[in-house]
Amino acid sequence: MNKTKQALFSYSFIFPSALLTLVLGIYPIAWAFRYMFYDYKGFGTARFTGLANFSRILKDTQFWDSVVNTFVYAGGKLLITIPLALLLAAVLNRGLKGRQLLRGIFFMPTVISTAVMAVVFFTIFNSYNGILNQFLIRSGLTDSGVDWLGPKYAMLTVILVAAWGAVGNYMLLFLAGLQNIPEDVYEASSLDGAGRIQQFRYITLPMLGPVMQMVIMLAIITALKGYESIMVLTEGGPVGKTEVMFLYLYKLFFPVGGGSAAVQVQEFGYGSAVAFVSAFIVGIISLIYFYASRRMNQTD
Amino acid sequence: MMKRVILTSLSLVLALGLTACGGNTAESNGDGKTGDSGNKTKITYWTGDRHDADFVKEKVAEFNASNTDGIEVELAVKGDDFDTALDLSFQTSDAPDVIRAKENTIQTFYKKGFLAPIDEFLTDELKTKFPAMPDLNEFDGKRYSLPNYGTTMRLVYNKDLFAKAGVEHPPTTLQELVDTAKKLTEAGKADGAYGFAQNFKNPGSAFGRSARVIAEMSGYGGFGYDFKTARYDFSGFEPIIDAFKQIKDDGSMLPGVESLDIDPLRAQFAEGKIGMYMSYSSEPGVYKNQFPAKIDWAAAPVPTVDGTVKGSSGFLGGQWLALSAKSEHKEAAWKFMEFMYGDQVLTDYQEKGFGISMVPSISAVAKTPDVNGIEGFLPNKNDGVWPVYPSVAPEGMKSDDAFFKYMLNGGDLKAIIADLNKRYNAALDSAIANDGVKAEPDAGFDPAALGGKFAK
Repeated sequence: MNKTKQALFSYSFIFPSALLTLVLGIYPIAWAFRYMFYDYKGFGTARFTGLANFSRILKDTQFWDSVVNTFVYAGGKLLITIPLALLLAAVLNRGLKGRQLLRGIFFMPTVISTAVMAVVFFTIFNSYNGILNQFLIRSGLTDSGVDWLGPKYAMLTVILVAAWGAVGNYMLLFLAGLQNIPEDVYEASSLDGAGRIQQFRYITLPMLGPVMQMVIMLAIITALKGYESIMVLTEGGPVGKTEVMFLYLYKLFFPVGGGSAAVQVQEFGYGSAVAFVSAFIVGIISLIYFYASRRMNQTD
Repeated sequence: MMKRVILTSLSLVLALGLTACGGNTAESNGDGKTGDSGNKTKITYWTGDRHDADFVKEKVAEFNASNTDGIEVELAVKGDDFDTALDLSFQTSDAPDVIRAKENTIQTFYKKGFLAPIDEFLTDELKTKFPAMPDLNEFDGKRYSLPNYGTTMRLVYNKDLFAKAGVEHPPTTLQELVDTAKKLTEAGKADGAYGFAQNFKNPGSAFGRSARVIAEMSGYGGFGYDFKTARYDFSGFEPIIDAFKQIKDDGSMLPGVESLDIDPLRAQFAEGKIGMYMSYSSEPGVYKNQFPAKIDWAAAPVPTVDGTVKGSSGFLGGQWLALSAKSEHKEAAWKFMEFMYGDQVLTDYQEKGFGISMVPSISAVAKTPDVNGIEGFLPNKNDGVWPVYPSVAPEGMKSDDAFFKYMLNGGDLKAIIADLNKRYNAALDSAIANDGVKAEPDAGFDPAALGGKFAK
């Protein structure tokens, strides 16, 4: 009886989130699962086309270009974000004056809306009257400004903006991990003559392993799925140079027409198939990472 | 134990509360009037138009204050996410009662079942007053909206920069467009001004207001569809895209157009940094209210491929407000629509410069809009309403992206066009076979004959 009560009590807690997961998570996925085998444009009847959407994906160079762009974007973002977040966390974990304020400042981008952040960065980077170009021209570093959102530098710009938005968040997670490392380990190592760098290499990094594994995992998934700031900054352009997987997918469901452009046709069926393949790619990469990084979880 | 009971109850209340969120919050009391907020019938009107937002807000307030039926209209001015928000609203049973439909959205709204026919509300007088336009406000013999204003497309140019460069007239051929852009850049570059600009952050929006109208004036369908053969054929775009590429290669295009949106483009034009661009008749209102122009500017017909007009410049419109199929207060919603379609509102709409009337009885009496620059946008003998082309979803890159890619990277334009024709026609064949899309050849179709119906 007591056990039943206990179970009921537990289930009552699980129920709200289980309900939300079912309605907002499982149902849309089931919906997409069905439509990926159909040709459906959002109106009329959906037509069963079997695996036609998947064979179209195989030939869809725009999609595969977006996959490559996603890897470049995610890779670039991680390469900047993770080391920088770790460095900031390590520095701010020490008895630095004003560290609370600095932590707040570095964390601030996390609480700012991605779209708002991207609009602000647009005013900095746009080439015709952006603040950055005006600064470069006035300081004599360049004559005509740099086309930061043009074909050559657009990817670099969107990576920098994404890294700026993410570094504070991961810094905070690393800080939490660092604070769990007992101080006496450092003290013991000092007595043995270990310097700061050696402590970082042989104590901090290994003991931060499980946290680091999780943080990198989160960072990989977030980076592979990210598209919001790109949408605002370049809409995936110029000519697909910054089109990432999930932005390509978004446009299939909600074409970006603008003004009196052509009549836009939504592709729910094909979009669902692309969503499945994209999720599969993210899943596979996460699994590979999880397998490859399993040693990070072994602290002993 | 007590704590557990409280916690359990709280979580149940939370769960029930969340479930209840999905239901209707406003209960109807049967006579179309809501029970709360002082027996007012609440109507929501959603629009994506921003150029006339203040005017529409004013008229909505006027209607709310003056109507004696206890109707209260709530206006929601949406941004670029209008279509997406509308889609979601119909999924969540939170759809508006009155919807702003446009010439490129009404067909989809109709097919999705968002709209209710308005025939039952139309008197014979209204039916005659507002012309029926197939596929633009009339579907399968039923009316779904009425016209208010139409939009013309023109070349907008900076008269100050033209004078500085010694150019007397706006270009009339593509070659002149290229040459003029070059001259304007030579004259203005020292001050950061360039000859030409397009809002390529969204190539569809950029070409939809430039290449499209040049093609239409030159006798080709503005979106690559040939009404004579009922097939897609983009070959008419070859000289147009080549001319744009030439302008870019010459360095006569504003730097950074790749990420330029239409509003930043307008802001730059208002500052005198752009010599020419092409756009809609909403521009004069923009330079009056949104970005007050610091320069003297005007609008002229867009150039054609070789200087001869073989078609008509699209006069876009034919619809304005539409009734939602999901509205629970259709009569009240129609009363609001009736007010908005009243002579006073429509006349004010034109005279204040928000758009050029497409309603003959209003055009006959309304004064020329009191807005600088509108003269160039008024309909002339070459403006006409094009029929609606069958929209398709081709596999691979869309025409606008393919053309813009060519402008940036070069390549074989003929091969690009052949590929577009192949993919668009394959999509058309599939749409005809599977989606009930109709595409009938019209051998006698004459694009030049479309003009002259709104002005001689």
